[in-house]
Amino acid sequence: MKAFKELTEISGSRQNSYVSAWKDQGKKVVGYVCSYMPEEILHAADILPYRINGKGVSDMSQADAYLSRVNCSFSRCCLELGFRGEYDFLDGAVWINGCDHIRRCYDNWKAKRPFPFMHMLPVPHKIFPEGRQWYKEEVISFKEAVEAYFGVKITDDKIAEACSVYNETRKLLRKLYDKRTEDEPGFTGPEINTILSASVSMPKPEFNHLLEQVLQETQTVKEGSKKSIRLLVAGSIMDDQGFIENIEEMGAVVVADAFCLGAKNFWDLMDENGNVFENLIDRYYTHSPCPRMAGEYPTRLNFIKEQIERANVEGVILEHIKFCDLHGTDNALLKKDLEKAGIATLELERQYGPLADSGRIRTRVQAFLERIKA
Amino acid sequence: MIVAGCDVGSLSAEAVIMENGTIIGSEIIRVRPKAEQSAKDVMDKLLTRLNFSYNDIRFTVATGYGRENISFADDNVSEISCHGKGAHFLVPSIKTVVDVGGQDCKAIRVSSNGALEDFVMNDKCAAGTGRSLELNAESLGVDVSELGPLSLEATDTITITNQCSIFTEMEIMHLLMEDKSVVNIAAGINEAMARRVKMLVGKVGVKKDIGITGGVSKNIGVVKYLENMLETDFVEFPEDPQIIGALGAALFAEEKTKQAT
Repeated sequence: MKAFKELTEISGSRQNSYVSAWKDQGKKVVGYVCSYMPEEILHAADILPYRINGKGVSDMSQADAYLSRVNCSFSRCCLELGFRGEYDFLDGAVWINGCDHIRRCYDNWKAKRPFPFMHMLPVPHKIFPEGRQWYKEEVISFKEAVEAYFGVKITDDKIAEACSVYNETRKLLRKLYDKRTEDEPGFTGPEINTILSASVSMPKPEFNHLLEQVLQETQTVKEGSKKSIRLLVAGSIMDDQGFIENIEEMGAVVVADAFCLGAKNFWDLMDENGNVFENLIDRYYTHSPCPRMAGEYPTRLNFIKEQIERANVEGVILEHIKFCDLHGTDNALLKKDLEKAGIATLELERQYGPLADSGRIRTRVQAFLERIKA
Repeated sequence: MIVAGCDVGSLSAEAVIMENGTIIGSEIIRVRPKAEQSAKDVMDKLLTRLNFSYNDIRFTVATGYGRENISFADDNVSEISCHGKGAHFLVPSIKTVVDVGGQDCKAIRVSSNGALEDFVMNDKCAAGTGRSLELNAESLGVDVSELGPLSLEATDTITITNQCSIFTEMEIMHLLMEDKSVVNIAAGINEAMARRVKMLVGKVGVKKDIGITGGVSKNIGVVKYLENMLETDFVEFPEDPQIIGALGAALFAEEKTKQAT
């Protein structure tokens, strides 16, 4: 369990030991917020991409003075940490226009406590040929901005190298998810969350190495997991072990997900043959889509259905962070269509951050599990 | 065989004791700050009245907000399943149960054998709960129990537009300053409450027969508005609808005893 313990430590601290070691070598760290950010570009520039999170914030008073109460708590928590200086170890940050909440987070962060390097990488809200061209141009200007600011040259060879490292990560994470599909899942939901959190806050080659070890270590199968109800959880950004733990404590085991920090982030591999830059654009532009992508609802529904089948799921919990209109509306459609397909589904509204209302969640989850057992 | 159900909610606690499938007694109290104390007080009261002791009870199921913290209970079941179960026991034709309690509001769909089929619960907000009715009654200067009868006398219901309980309070204060009639405001409060509940019921679908449980089911004003909006009458329960959660818990206790033997 040594490798897992190390991943736990990494996921539990913001400027973890790998980030510090990286910086000690005089190398740069750049934050980002969304799965549409082609991390390989940064990796190819020998810059560490670090996914910004809002973990551990229970007081958002500084962020609330700038954002409004109708902004989602994820963007408020991230901004709060930014204002407090907890992300000062970053040398820069890249934002995506994922949704309006996270854009306002960017605006305020930039206005009040800007990083030396700040870049907005817009992604079209629809998948179509001209959109792909647009996205490609945006990735090129992002690449050029990185090259200009950090004084590096990002060659296609470097990108190709990065892609192969990242594909390795994706393949390993799929192996990890294979273990969840077993009758007695090799990992609990919170353990998966821990591994995923670490995966986006440390160098990928080292992460791959640790994950390989974790996959080889003997897993202690959670007692009674065979009797637990197998759930898929999907919805707004999820890096909260406590939330998943709360669900599992009611007699369930989370065996699959459709999160942008989970399966959706790594499911699609990148084609390593042919023009690597074009392939990178295709991979990120068309990867398992966020509800921000209009017209892609059927893809999202099918993705969930595939995961359900794969992991032998008995029920689905669709969560959304309060005021997350994208996931909130998508969840309403998904609930209708999944129920129609005979899959018991529960919608939950939550607040991002330390679980203040666990009782409320527990009641709904307990009733939902009773419904499945009935 | 004697079993018990104990429902500790956010505002009231109820206990029901059954013997061989028949209710032999029930009790309702206002909650204490701690769930365990509320549960003990309501059970003690009922046991004393029936001349029973805890040892006479074969199995106890706890439900409600405080269900996980009750030491004398043998098991716990969510209040959602319990309300469905209890309502179905009293009215076997029931398909939809609307439960409006102190701090939450739920619409529950039950199958023809009383099993939970689906449910919707209010999100993180007090609007549409018993607590918000209490606050509104307070702003109006009447007891919450008077809101229902008052609204029956209304001549011109005043529409309350705010959904948030706190903003509603301010709206009521403003209406009182404008010298609007207390009776018409009371009707407005009940109507606003009914609109909120209707939205939730709409989510699971209006399927007859429908019954209303929980403390708010005692407010005749809310009930009448809701019946109009849903275009159906609620079924009559042969017992106090406020004890249905505890009754459901007692029924689960009975099932669990049978399973064990």
